[in-house]
Amino acid sequence: MTTEAQGAQTVDPLDLRNLIETMPTPAVCALPDGSVEFVNREFQEYTACPTQQLDRWVWQTTIHPDDAAKFIDELSTTLDGIKPFHTEARIRRADGQYRWFSIRKALAVAASLSRESFLRTLIACEDIDERKRGEAKLQQGDGLLQVFFENSPNLVFVKDLHGRYLYANRQFKKAFHIPGVVRGKTDDELFSAEQAAAFQSVDRQVLETGQLMKFEDVARYEDGLHTRIVQKFPLRNAEGEIYAIGGVVTDITDRKREESVLRYSEENHRLVVETAPDAVISIDERGAILFANPATLRIFGHDPTELIGKPLTILMPEFLRKVHEKGFTRYLTTGQRHINWQGTELTGLQKDGREFPIEVSFGELSRDGHKVFTGFIRDISERKQAEDKLRASERTLRELTETIPQMLWSAEADGLINYCNQRVLDYTGLSADQIRGAGWMKSVHQDDIEKLGHAWTAAVSTGEPFQYEFRCRRTADNRYRWCVSSALPLRDREGRVIKWFGSVVDLHDWKEAQQALQMTQTELARVSRLTTMGELAASIAHEVNQPLTAVTNNSSACLRLLAAGNLQPEILRRALEEIVADGNRASAVVARIRGFIKKEPAEKNRLNINDVIQEVLALADRELYENRVRLERQLTKALPLVSADRVQMQQVLLNLIMNGIESMAAVTNRPRSLCMQSRIDDSGVVLVAVRDSGTGLSSEAHRLFTPFFTTKANGMGMGLSISRSLVESHGGRLWAEPNSPHGAVFCFTLPESGGSAS
Amino acid sequence: MTDARVVFVVDDDPSVRSSLKFLLSTVGLQVESFDSADTFLSKKPASVPSCLVLDVRLPGLSGIDIQRELAARNIHIPIIFLTGHGDIPMSVRAMKAGAVEFLTKPVRDQDLLDAVRIALEQDRTRREQEKEVTDLQQRFDLLTSREQQVISMLVSGMLNKQIAAQLGTAESTVKVQRSRAMEKMHAQSLVDLARMIEKLKGPLQKPS
Repeated sequence: MTTEAQGAQTVDPLDLRNLIETMPTPAVCALPDGSVEFVNREFQEYTACPTQQLDRWVWQTTIHPDDAAKFIDELSTTLDGIKPFHTEARIRRADGQYRWFSIRKALAVAASLSRESFLRTLIACEDIDERKRGEAKLQQGDGLLQVFFENSPNLVFVKDLHGRYLYANRQFKKAFHIPGVVRGKTDDELFSAEQAAAFQSVDRQVLETGQLMKFEDVARYEDGLHTRIVQKFPLRNAEGEIYAIGGVVTDITDRKREESVLRYSEENHRLVVETAPDAVISIDERGAILFANPATLRIFGHDPTELIGKPLTILMPEFLRKVHEKGFTRYLTTGQRHINWQGTELTGLQKDGREFPIEVSFGELSRDGHKVFTGFIRDISERKQAEDKLRASERTLRELTETIPQMLWSAEADGLINYCNQRVLDYTGLSADQIRGAGWMKSVHQDDIEKLGHAWTAAVSTGEPFQYEFRCRRTADNRYRWCVSSALPLRDREGRVIKWFGSVVDLHDWKEAQQALQMTQTELARVSRLTTMGELAASIAHEVNQPLTAVTNNSSACLRLLAAGNLQPEILRRALEEIVADGNRASAVVARIRGFIKKEPAEKNRLNINDVIQEVLALADRELYENRVRLERQLTKALPLVSADRVQMQQVLLNLIMNGIESMAAVTNRPRSLCMQSRIDDSGVVLVAVRDSGTGLSSEAHRLFTPFFTTKANGMGMGLSISRSLVESHGGRLWAEPNSPHGAVFCFTLPESGGSAS
Repeated sequence: MTDARVVFVVDDDPSVRSSLKFLLSTVGLQVESFDSADTFLSKKPASVPSCLVLDVRLPGLSGIDIQRELAARNIHIPIIFLTGHGDIPMSVRAMKAGAVEFLTKPVRDQDLLDAVRIALEQDRTRREQEKEVTDLQQRFDLLTSREQQVISMLVSGMLNKQIAAQLGTAESTVKVQRSRAMEKMHAQSLVDLARMIEKLKGPLQKPS
């Protein structure tokens, strides 16, 4: 049936007669012009044509008149060569009934044995009438199929062997956005060159292999990527020959997505269980182990594979096994749980017999009608130890806070007191409940309540460390005593304040001592000032006496002239002017001195240190002058203001200046010069330096600031010591260093008070 | 009192200087003022009776330093010290060194004027005495060395005879030399001559 006879073969013409008889279907041997040389018996029997004197154009009488002309025309043009020939036509049976036949070239033979060289073609005729009938029947159902295909959610199409579309359904047109007719068009006409080539490549494979081609295709649609399964298959005729290519494209995007979600979820579950730090163990209704994850080995020492089928009780210490079995059975029968399924603390049994604390959570699910229980088991040995340690350390802390001889308290983040130790209760005489919240305020002196409250509120709102001095009533003697309370915030990882811890210290005695010391120091400083003044006395007396002398002289002269009746108004006026000027001059000197020796407690103000330097230089001016000391001023303008007591700063400066002058008394071979400097030092604080060109610092320089140490014949040895303590009480520093090339430099610093001198 | 007198004032304070000048001028005194020791010392010494009103406390050389310096320069000018601060050791030193007066500021006008008058008088007297000695010396210098010898011996109480014997001359020669020397010295009597020689002794005894 599938004789392939496209090439001419050399066969004896006699053999052709035998050959044709072996063919199972009606067949003829045709001459190149299409006329028939002989037929086989099948043919003769079917058509009942005479075998003797065969009509060479037997086609004329046997082919259906409607088909004949076309048939003969095709036949005559194809037989004269090696072209294939295949057609369908109706052939009249002996009874006059026409049946459809597939008529095709079966074998072409070049006969060479005969003298004349000729070509013969065996043409086989196969009855396809029934198939035709079936097709016709199918034709009647075409409308239904059409509706079916058109409404299919799949893309359905048929192409002929030349790649022309015979059919494409609506979904196809929709998917590819083809508005017009598809039928009769090729891929080249409908799609991009690239896409068309891809389609055609598959088509070729279908044709070459004759097989169904099935593959997944991912294409970008307007709503994203779509995964589709494309199936292309050959359409064969009754002879099994391919005459067209059919195609169905199914969009499986949604299913794909579901599949991948499912796969991910399964994968994920597997991964979680495999890598879980907890042991994951499943048991069946009998309590036998169905599954154990790798962590089981680490936690219980059992290889998970060994455990399969073993009873779960193998992982429990003896004393729990009965309980478990009882509880398990009860649950299976009554559904009543004997333990909490979420995070129960139990005891586990290691393979080596060691018992250890575990935390277990259970889950239950039904599979094929059977219950499966899965447990998640965590080794909590470390946590237990940590908890024990924490408890122990909490106890220690609690003991510490209760026994420590300090008043301690803590507060919530909002500033309300939530704890204080026994010392606080003892001191204040209040109960813990009375103190809680803001109740502690009851023990604060009423003059301090408001400021203390403000300070605490400010600390709580900013989270800054808290410290405040206030008077607190001590219940023992019912007196208010000075206390200082300090607190620091405890912060969480994000830096939020979660708690405050504070202490209260009674510093009343200390403060009183401090005040006494302060007073002593102030007095000592004043004494020292007076001493310095004593040293300056000669200069100062001179300075006061000069204007007084001038006043006296001028007045006396006027009186004399008046007595002599010889006082001219012009002279009198000039004299009086001088008297007024000198009087003012004297009172200015006196005012300066009075300010300096006044007995007043230290009072810090915002000062420009340059002003203080100028005031002191006015006091020491005469002393410098008489000692032939050249004064140099190197004062930096626009210094920051310092917070300082004016008189104390004058004292320090005057002391340093007097020391400088004195150190140069013995100097005769070089200029005596004193340089006053003010500037901002490297660390940004105000620095004042007094440089002299005197004898310099001795080998005992390190004792300079020691009380009662002096290098002067009649010095008290307190000046520098007091100066240093004055500077330090201002938060500054005072030190000495050698000057170059001669003399010494005394420097002191003062922290700025904020703000700048204009 | 004669006209030519001058008071020097040294004080570094201009108003003190001018007030002193004003006060002293009310009694007709001529005043020259200086603001420091150096400016005063660089000035030529006065040739008329003068005194110095000096502030103890001065920049540079102090008042005491000036006093010492003047003495070293053999300048004899009476000094009145003014001080603002009663400093006993200092005043003792100043007085020992020949100060006329040591007054504390502010000074009573009369005290100052009195001191100035005394000082000027002192200076005038000193100057007169100095002038007399100078005249005698000039006359003495006119004598021959033998005449000088003779009157020296005469004043020491020797008789003519004794002098002649000692000098190896005749008594008559001694008499001639004596009367010529008396004449040259403008001496009225032997006593007068003896007084003159006594006055000259001071400078004579000095090495220079």
